[in-house]
Amino acid sequence: MLLQRIFASVLLLACVGLALMAWPYQAAFSYEPVGPRAFPLLMLGLMGLALMYMVFRPAPIKHDADEPPMDRETLTKIGICVVLLLVFAGTFEPLGFIVASILIGIPMARLYGGRWVPSIVIITLMAVGLYLLFDKVMDVPLPLGVLDVLEN
Amino acid sequence: MDTLGYLGQGFGVALSPYNLVTALCGTLIGTVVGLLPGLGPINGVALLIPIAFALGLPPESALILLAAVYLGCEYGGRISSILLNIPGEASTVMTTLDGYPMARKGLAGVALSLSAWSSFIGAFIATCGMVLFAPLLAKWAIAFGPAEYFVLMVFAIVCLGGMAGDRPLKTFIAALIGLFLSTVGIDANSGVYRFTGDNIHLTDGIQFVVLVLGLFSISEILLLLEKTHHGQEAVKATGRMMFNFKEASAVFVVNIRCGVLGFIMGVLPGAGATLASAVAYMTEKRIAGAKGTFGQGDMRGLAAPETAIGGAACGALVPMLTLGVPGSGTTAVMIGALSLYNITPGPLLFQQQPDIVWGLIASLFVANIMLVILNIPMIRIFTRILAVPNWALVPVIAIITGIGVYAVHATTFDLFLMIGIGIFGYILRKLDFPLSPVLLGFILGGLMEQNLRRALSISNGALEILWSSPITFGVWVLTAIMLLMPIIRIWRKRSAAQRAIADV
Repeated sequence: MLLQRIFASVLLLACVGLALMAWPYQAAFSYEPVGPRAFPLLMLGLMGLALMYMVFRPAPIKHDADEPPMDRETLTKIGICVVLLLVFAGTFEPLGFIVASILIGIPMARLYGGRWVPSIVIITLMAVGLYLLFDKVMDVPLPLGVLDVLEN
Repeated sequence: MDTLGYLGQGFGVALSPYNLVTALCGTLIGTVVGLLPGLGPINGVALLIPIAFALGLPPESALILLAAVYLGCEYGGRISSILLNIPGEASTVMTTLDGYPMARKGLAGVALSLSAWSSFIGAFIATCGMVLFAPLLAKWAIAFGPAEYFVLMVFAIVCLGGMAGDRPLKTFIAALIGLFLSTVGIDANSGVYRFTGDNIHLTDGIQFVVLVLGLFSISEILLLLEKTHHGQEAVKATGRMMFNFKEASAVFVVNIRCGVLGFIMGVLPGAGATLASAVAYMTEKRIAGAKGTFGQGDMRGLAAPETAIGGAACGALVPMLTLGVPGSGTTAVMIGALSLYNITPGPLLFQQQPDIVWGLIASLFVANIMLVILNIPMIRIFTRILAVPNWALVPVIAIITGIGVYAVHATTFDLFLMIGIGIFGYILRKLDFPLSPVLLGFILGGLMEQNLRRALSISNGALEILWSSPITFGVWVLTAIMLLMPIIRIWRKRSAAQRAIADV
C-alpha cells in the first residue's frame, strides 16, 4: 500500500514536471486550431487525476502464490543484474559485441545459478555463435570492437 | 464472390514455396520462443521485426513470418502449461487447470495434440469469420473521418479498462503512460521538439522496438531473478501422441461454441485472448454441470480455453486490418512492424494491397495446419527445450534483446533507453500494473493525436464535431457503457457481500 502511494506520488510529481515542460510548446506559426501542446497536456492531466485517486485510495496488490517476498538478497541480485545490463550497453560499441556479451554473460549466468565452467563454455560459444548468425547470416551489422584486427 | 476470388489470390501468395518456408520457420521459432520462460508472443514478434527488415523480406513475407511466430508462440505457451503447469502468459492460465491433470494421468501427448486441434478449430472459425466480416467492416470504415477515428480510439482505450476487470484504474494509468510516451519527439505538424531534453536520439521519438523489448524482455529478466526455484520436472510425454476420433467428437460441440465466442471477444478491442479463455472455461463448466470433471483433467476443460484463444488471436487481427486500431498487445506490435514497411493498416489496405491482407489471412490457415502437423514428430524435441536451465537461457535472452534493439538504429543510446524502460516496467509489474495497455496506448497515441487535430482543423476548432455525427455519438454511448461496467461490477459485488452478511 505504502509502496503504491510513493510510486503514485513520484509519478504525479513527474506529471507536474512534464506539464511545466510542455507549457511553452507553441508552434512558431500555426495554421491549425490545436497546437502541439494540447494533447500531451490532456494526457498528463488525466494521468494526474487517476494518480491522485490512487494516492488516496490505493488498491491492494495481489501476489501470486509462488511469488517469494522481496528480501535484501533479491534486491542485491536485481541491482547487480541492472549494473551488468548497463555495462553491456556501455561496452557494446567500444569493446564490440562478442567481448561485451562474454563480459556480462558469464557473471549473469553465475547470478542465475550456473556453475563456473559450464557458464564460461556456453556463454563464449553463444556469443561467437550469435555474432556469426546475426552479422554473417542475417545481415544485422554488429560492432566487432577490439576484435576488429581479427577481421583482416 | 469477390471475397472468394481474393482469398484464392491470397492462397496463391501464401502457398508460394518462399512463403511456405517462411511460415514454417516462423512457426518453429514461435514455438521455441513461446516455450521459453521470459519470452512470449509480444517479445517474439518484436524481436523479429528488425531482423525481418534486415533480411530484406518483402512486406507480405515479413507479415506472414510475424503471424506465424504469433501463432507458434501461442502453441509453445501451451506446451509449458500442460507439461509443467506453468502458464507462459495470462491467457494460458485456464489451460493449466485441466491440461496439467490430463498430463499427470499419462495423457500428455493426447492433451497436447487435442489442444492443438482445438486451437486450430478456433482459428479456423475465426479466420472464416474474418473472411466474411473484415471486407464488410473495411467498406463501412471508409466512411470514417478523423473525428470518428478519434472517438473509436477513445473507445478502445476505455474498453481496455472496462474489460480488464479487477484493476480498471491501473489499466487506465498504464494506457495513459503509453499515450504520453507516444508524444515524445518532434511534432510532425508544427516541428516543435517535445520532451526530448535536447537529446538528438529522442528527436525521432522513442523507438517502438525499444519500448516493447524494454517493457517485456528486460522486466521479465529481472522478474526471473526472483524465481530461483528452477528445474520443475516436466511430465514425460509418453504413450499415445494423437487424440482419437472419439475424443475429438466428444469435444466438437465445445470447439464450435468456444470458437465463435473467441472470435467475437477477439474482435472487441481490449477483451482479447485472456478474457475469452476465462469466459469460455467458465461457460463450459456451467454447461457441463455436475457431470463434468472440470479441474481433474476433463477434455472439455482443455478444449474450451484453447479454442477460445485460437479464435481470439485471429479475431484480434480484424480491427487491426480493417480499422488500423489494434485490439491486443501482439497486434499492436504487428502494427509497429507494418509501419516500418510504410504500410498503414486501415480500410484502404484491402483495396490498395490485397496481396498483403489476403496473403496474411491465407497464411493463418497454412500456419495453423503446420502447427497441428508439427506437433506429432516434434513434441519430444520441444519438451527437451523445456529442460534448458535459466542460467544458460537468461544471458542469451538479454544478449539477443540487445541485438534486436541495436539493429534498429545502431546506437547505444537505444540500449540505455531500453534498460531504463525495463526498470520502469519491472516496477510497474511489481505494483500490479498490466503492461500491454502501455503498448496499446503508445501505438494509438500518435494516431489519436493526429486524428484529433485533423478533426478540429476541419471544424476550425469547434468541439461539436467530436460528437455530432451519428457514428461518433453511438461510439460515445458505448464508451459510457464501458466506463460504467467496472463501477456496476464493484457495486454488485458490494451488495452481494452485504447480502451475505445479512444472511448470516
